[in-house]
Amino acid sequence: MHEIIAAQADLADRTIKNSWPAWLDILQSSTGLFLALFMWGHMAFVASILLGETAMWTVTKFFEGYFIFGKSHPGLVSCVVAFVALVFVAHALLAMRKFPANYRQCRAILCHAKAMRHEDSTLWIWQVCTGFLLFFFVSAHLYQMFVWPQNIGPYASSDRVWSDGLWPFYLTMLLAVELHGGIGLYRLALKWGWPNAPRGVLRTLKWGLTAFFLVLGLATLAAYMKIGFEHGGHYGERYMPDWAAAENTSQGDGQ
Amino acid sequence: MKTIVTDVLVIGGGLAGLRMAIAAKRRGHDAIVLSLVPPKRSHSAAAQGGMQASLANVSKGAGDNEDVHFEDTVRGSDWGADQIVARMFVNTAPKAVRELAAWGTPWSRLRRGDHEVIINEQKVVLAERAEAHGLIAQRDFGGTKKWRTCYVSDGTGHAMLFTTSDQAIRHGVEVHERTEALALIHDGERCYGAVVRNLVSGELTAYLAKATAIATGGAGRLYRVTTNAVICEGMGHALALETGVAALGNMEAVQFHPTGIFPAGILVTEGCRGDGGLLRDVDGHRFMPDYEPEKKELASRDVVSRRMEEHIRSGKGVPTRFGPHLWLDITLLGRRHIEHNLREVKEICQYFLGVDPAQSWIPVRPAQHYTMGGVRTDHTGQSPHLKGLFAAGEAACWDLHGFNRLGGNSVAETVVAGMIVGEFIADFCDKPENSVPVPLALAREFVRREEEKLAAILDSSGHENPFQLCSEMQEIMTHYVGIFRQGDALLAGITHLQRLLERSREIGISGKSRAANPELVAAYRFRRMLKLALTIAYGAYRRTESRGAHFREDFPRRDDQEWLKRTLAFWSDEDVILPHLDYEPLDVMKMELPPGWRGYGAKNYIDHPDTPQRQQEVDAIRARMQDKDRHAIQHALMPYADELPPSLAGRNERLDEPLELAQ
Amino acid sequence: MSAIIENNGAADAVESRQSRWLTFDILRYDPADPGVAPHLRTYRIEEADSMTLFIALNEIREHQDPTLKFDFVCRAGICGSCAMLVNGRPKLACRTLTSSLPTENTLAPLPFFELIGDLSVNTGKWMRGMSERLQTWLHAWEDEVDLRKIEERMDPDLAEQIYELDRCIECGCCVAACGTARMREDFVGAVGFGKMARFRLDPRDARTDDDYYELIGDDTGVFGCMSLLACHDVCPKSLPLQTQIAFLRRRMAMTGTGL
Repeated sequence: MHEIIAAQADLADRTIKNSWPAWLDILQSSTGLFLALFMWGHMAFVASILLGETAMWTVTKFFEGYFIFGKSHPGLVSCVVAFVALVFVAHALLAMRKFPANYRQCRAILCHAKAMRHEDSTLWIWQVCTGFLLFFFVSAHLYQMFVWPQNIGPYASSDRVWSDGLWPFYLTMLLAVELHGGIGLYRLALKWGWPNAPRGVLRTLKWGLTAFFLVLGLATLAAYMKIGFEHGGHYGERYMPDWAAAENTSQGDGQ
Repeated sequence: MKTIVTDVLVIGGGLAGLRMAIAAKRRGHDAIVLSLVPPKRSHSAAAQGGMQASLANVSKGAGDNEDVHFEDTVRGSDWGADQIVARMFVNTAPKAVRELAAWGTPWSRLRRGDHEVIINEQKVVLAERAEAHGLIAQRDFGGTKKWRTCYVSDGTGHAMLFTTSDQAIRHGVEVHERTEALALIHDGERCYGAVVRNLVSGELTAYLAKATAIATGGAGRLYRVTTNAVICEGMGHALALETGVAALGNMEAVQFHPTGIFPAGILVTEGCRGDGGLLRDVDGHRFMPDYEPEKKELASRDVVSRRMEEHIRSGKGVPTRFGPHLWLDITLLGRRHIEHNLREVKEICQYFLGVDPAQSWIPVRPAQHYTMGGVRTDHTGQSPHLKGLFAAGEAACWDLHGFNRLGGNSVAETVVAGMIVGEFIADFCDKPENSVPVPLALAREFVRREEEKLAAILDSSGHENPFQLCSEMQEIMTHYVGIFRQGDALLAGITHLQRLLERSREIGISGKSRAANPELVAAYRFRRMLKLALTIAYGAYRRTESRGAHFREDFPRRDDQEWLKRTLAFWSDEDVILPHLDYEPLDVMKMELPPGWRGYGAKNYIDHPDTPQRQQEVDAIRARMQDKDRHAIQHALMPYADELPPSLAGRNERLDEPLELAQ
Repeated sequence: MSAIIENNGAADAVESRQSRWLTFDILRYDPADPGVAPHLRTYRIEEADSMTLFIALNEIREHQDPTLKFDFVCRAGICGSCAMLVNGRPKLACRTLTSSLPTENTLAPLPFFELIGDLSVNTGKWMRGMSERLQTWLHAWEDEVDLRKIEERMDPDLAEQIYELDRCIECGCCVAACGTARMREDFVGAVGFGKMARFRLDPRDARTDDDYYELIGDDTGVFGCMSLLACHDVCPKSLPLQTQIAFLRRRMAMTGTGL
């Protein structure tokens, strides 16, 4: 295409089909889908603490490649974190396009939702608000995990939650992420018409899953807080199951 | 004064108006449509059941053709119709359906094989031939020999209107929404356009055009109980009447639809009865076969409505505090049929009555439905009295319907007349002699007059409330000029209406805004409506016979000897309190179908002196031409083909009548 | 006979009920008279049997306030003129029975559309613009058809499916209920999508998905829809907007990306 035409977006779109809008929409949905599913998986792994410190330690070590290489490589976790961060930024960028951009739009949607008393419309406002919170919380969380991947473990994480005083951070993020992800997946189903179930069924399913993961998340957080509280006196000490300690006395957890 | 100049000014944005505008536009003329409301909200959308066109696709339509449709229409009209116009109409109706099909109307289609229908309370299995599969289907309607009514579920008018309106948008037809014509601009001989009020800003504008066409629909709101939309106040009729030059034809012919929902008057389609629904009385008895053993519920509308009122009078109505009503029973059609083919009916029952028509009967009583009368035109749609003024559809007295219109013929007329008159309007505009100079001074004078009238209402210190007066008029019309008419009562009605006319000079309104002002609108429309009411009442009083929907208890017979004529009403000036009536005789000697018995309703009538002679001639021609094809016979009886615009002439193909053979 | 008994029973029940007094807070504003700020005005009327908002509003206009502006045309739920916010939600006023309402109510004009005054809005103007923009007419394969000839065949089921989508009355409820449209005025709205789906389904229309992509393949079109689906929930004609919009999104995504 001639660059003079290309410089005029409207005219350029008349010469060739502009496939960008379609790609962007697909990307917004697929990054969202990935993040929501990742978040649930992540939740499940983190919740392994409910099965005991050893279970959580095993999961952690698994992701550090300990059982493959016989040695922990926390850098592997950083790689995963980097990839998720990339997807997260992409999703944030794409989703931001839908946010109210100015006072007029903001007021319009709020008045609208208030007058309509329509669940799916109100849910969207929740999605925007939680999404906005997640910009900050998830960014901070991802940064931390990227830089200090070794600080994941039954005691290390618990110390962070309790002794470092981060539990309000995690509590807020938990609420925001579960709501955002749950609503997001529900909306994806409506957007693309799959699964093609009645909306009532989808909505029940959505609330069920959200409730399940919230309860799981809260219980998990409580477990870390409890361990952190009890472990407070030994701040900084790493967890090591007895068998591993016997096998490899020179290493602390996550080292 | 703001002035807008165009080629064709169409007043009214329903099916007829839009179709005329499209025709003009396609012939290279500019067209502006004035519409009180967005055109897709026009009352055309309310036609539920269907449009008649003799396609003969369904098995029950076998053998149908223009001849049968023509006879049904003329019989239905009680010989009041212009038979040339009826011929033009029946020949164009199939083309109109097919044009709409090509434009996107989702006509319900025929399915091959056996299907079950309800006819006369019996389940009947009909077999549809395979070669007709996928062609446009037809259903049964009152007053027809064959199943001829093409339909789109029961949203026919809606689908047709949206198709046509979208085509108008495609052709770039300008529609000036929320505008109202207040007066036609004319010099007593030729019409030049209209003074138009913007209903939002209140501004008056002179629209000047080579041709002006009225397509404003009916005047149902003259009555208290009507199926018509609230905008059907006859303002197009009044525009023509107030010129003092153009005539309104047959205004006393007012149709009452048998099944208006009681008491609101909302229409439930004739399709209910066409598809097998029954009328029942207080005892649950199906009474129509007692009166009309042959056509039963499916006699023509005037007959069924009268029989229903007669039955109510004999004490068989269901008493309520709003008065008596009867039942329409469609439960026997089954839920599937109701939910697929009579869906609007189901919605209406659900939303307005809170009943499920698949389980409960529907309370109905006849309600005003159609204005057969209208701006008198010749077969080209032009007023014979005021050059450059055209009319089509319900607002016109073209005269397709005579004294009673068949179900499905009105929505058909809108598009058919739109096509035909649209072509004639384009012809009119093509002629150099019709490109007259723009009469600006005349326009200014008319605008000034309307401004004065509005100012007089706004400045009036009178105490009469226009809404109140209007409902009084509606009561009078319903009471004295309803289904059953009688000389003394009509006279009393006229007196009451005249008293209202006097009181209307004392209308005062509280809101003084010149812009959007519902009270002002009610005030200026009311006086016009009253003139129409008087025209109807006076025409009914003078017509001392019964014909079609006009039924005089003191003159129950049809009297061709005295009354085989069309009423023409003129309102010469502001000071008179009654229209001047003239009569235009129908020429029996030129009729293809001389007057006789309709095949239903009362059998007694007084023959026209020419009828026996013409009947003999017709019989002789038929006998002589026995071996000729039907087109040749028809041509010998009453040639009409030359009257059609060339682009719409030509025969119609049917499965049993291939085009090659038809030529 | 059971139907008679049932119906009579219902009528008797209605007649014996004590009638209520209804309150309507109606949003009043006349753009032609900007000196008077928008305000709520309260009207009280006595409820009658099978009273609809059409009857109630006309009674208010005829007996209490002749300056009140509102639009009704068919008063039978067919034409779509009378959409307004009834207690915050878009509804067709003519077929809203007062018996379905509480005693205290608010009525307001449809948002989004140009206000003419009080409850009257200019939906027609917007709809015409939408039609022109989306070219909501059949783009026939051939411009001229021979009207004398038998019509093209169409499968009966397909005709019924097209009519299902053709039932839209352009009342504007879906657009007024749409969060996306409220924020972005150039959004096509469910009414537009419904029409695109309708013409796409119609084999008589010669347009391809590429053509539709040109019309609705961007953020003012189907990709702008956030699937809040209030359109679907308020549609007076119960059009299947949810599934149709999702379908269009899939088609347009595939067309746009070539997947």
